[in-house]
Amino acid sequence: MSHGDILAIFNGALTTLLLSAAGIALGLPIGLGLALLRWARVPVIAPIVAVYVSLLRATPLVTLLLLLFFALPNVGVPIGPLSAGVLALTMNTAAFNCEVWRASLMDFPKEQIEAAQSVGMRRGLRFRRIVFPQVLRTSLTGLINEMSLLIKVTPVLAVVGVVDITRAAQRIGAETYEPLPPFLVAVAIYIPIVFALVSVQRLIERRNLRLEAAA
Amino acid sequence: MSFRLTSRRSAVASLLMPLALLVAIPHASAATLEEIQKRGYLVVATEDDFRPFEFVKDGKPTGFDNEMVEALKKYAKFEIRQEILPWTGILAGVATGKYDIAITAAIITKERAQSLDFTSPIADATHYYVKRKGDDSIKSIKDLNGKTVGVQAGSALLGRLPELKAMIEKEGGKMGKIVEYTSYPEAYQDLALKRTDYVVNTVINLKSLVAEKGAVFELGQPVSGKSYPAWAIKKGNADLLAYMNKFIAEQKANGTMPALQKKWFGESFTLPVTFTPEF
Repeated sequence: MSHGDILAIFNGALTTLLLSAAGIALGLPIGLGLALLRWARVPVIAPIVAVYVSLLRATPLVTLLLLLFFALPNVGVPIGPLSAGVLALTMNTAAFNCEVWRASLMDFPKEQIEAAQSVGMRRGLRFRRIVFPQVLRTSLTGLINEMSLLIKVTPVLAVVGVVDITRAAQRIGAETYEPLPPFLVAVAIYIPIVFALVSVQRLIERRNLRLEAAA
Repeated sequence: MSFRLTSRRSAVASLLMPLALLVAIPHASAATLEEIQKRGYLVVATEDDFRPFEFVKDGKPTGFDNEMVEALKKYAKFEIRQEILPWTGILAGVATGKYDIAITAAIITKERAQSLDFTSPIADATHYYVKRKGDDSIKSIKDLNGKTVGVQAGSALLGRLPELKAMIEKEGGKMGKIVEYTSYPEAYQDLALKRTDYVVNTVINLKSLVAEKGAVFELGQPVSGKSYPAWAIKKGNADLLAYMNKFIAEQKANGTMPALQKKWFGESFTLPVTFTPEF
């Protein structure tokens, strides 16, 4: 493995990070939005969301990606490998995030909402001040879990030509006929990425504990 | 209750709509030569792990086909846009019109010729087998009796294994287990790890492998008749096919193609202008 090869894997790492970040940044709020639509039982839309989530949870990411990548141009939407990758990741992770958020929302104590209503708090304020901060806390573990899965599922995007960490490693193996060293480098890059994510989770959890103890 | 039912039904309908649209609208056809000249670019798809035809070195695409793409850039009056992706998506991308041409070593087969047109062959690539160096249990085709073979999934190599099966059966043996891989690097690795006993690929790929890893692998005998790789274009795109064939003919005549063959394959070939596959 040459320096150029290592550089190529790091370029792949950049792609993996950017795609995962885009998927997480888009998938988190969309997931929350979908969960709220279902939680609030919005007529017509809530059942559509339910069907969407079931379909997306049942569709393998690679199938969804190939469908988007090859079918969208046929209906006049030109789409490149990177945008198809982000779209597929977002659609997929939003469905899973929706369920994590929804579970927390359903467990949310009704009495608190009734108490807020009794002092005349409006819906938006109720959500911002009372529901969201607590739901975020209970959802955190599930959400971080889904994020780490998302990072590790990015090699699937290689099928349409995205060069992530794993694909960059595979290319080097194909050139040198020595697949093991590049894969070891790849693993050595994935570990700190996911470790950083889990550390963020620990940090937030500890801060929450401190706040609770202080309260 | 009735409201719930209707809303659920409309939910399903709204989800199926886009799918129905996909089916209803005829597939966008690949650009014709005229359209390519008008819009000013040709979309070329190449692979990234099929040494020596196409592979990536230090992050840059190289190999025989990539140097041919360089020659095409000089030859063509329009821009060449290159997409690099794994084998899995390439032929599907050409068939759906996502890419105008696959400049990769796609072996011409009867089945592929039904949905794709092929340019003039770019190399002579009879299928051979490779074995572990020092594996004395394999010396000829006869010894392949019952041995496990590794081959790429969806490849012409896999499609033509019945030929090898007939050869083994003629010697009184039978074909062993077939293991399919998404690409060849994994197949070679499994052969080295003794999970398979031999791997079938084109003589060009295997010579390149043995030249690099002569201490691990050893070239065996041919396991097929004539086989030619060529570039694939969507079926019926006659103008583009003629244009590419003219390009290939010119590269043959001006010596570029034989020189690149010598550089990447170790020898240059006399190739037919067209090839009709038997398999």
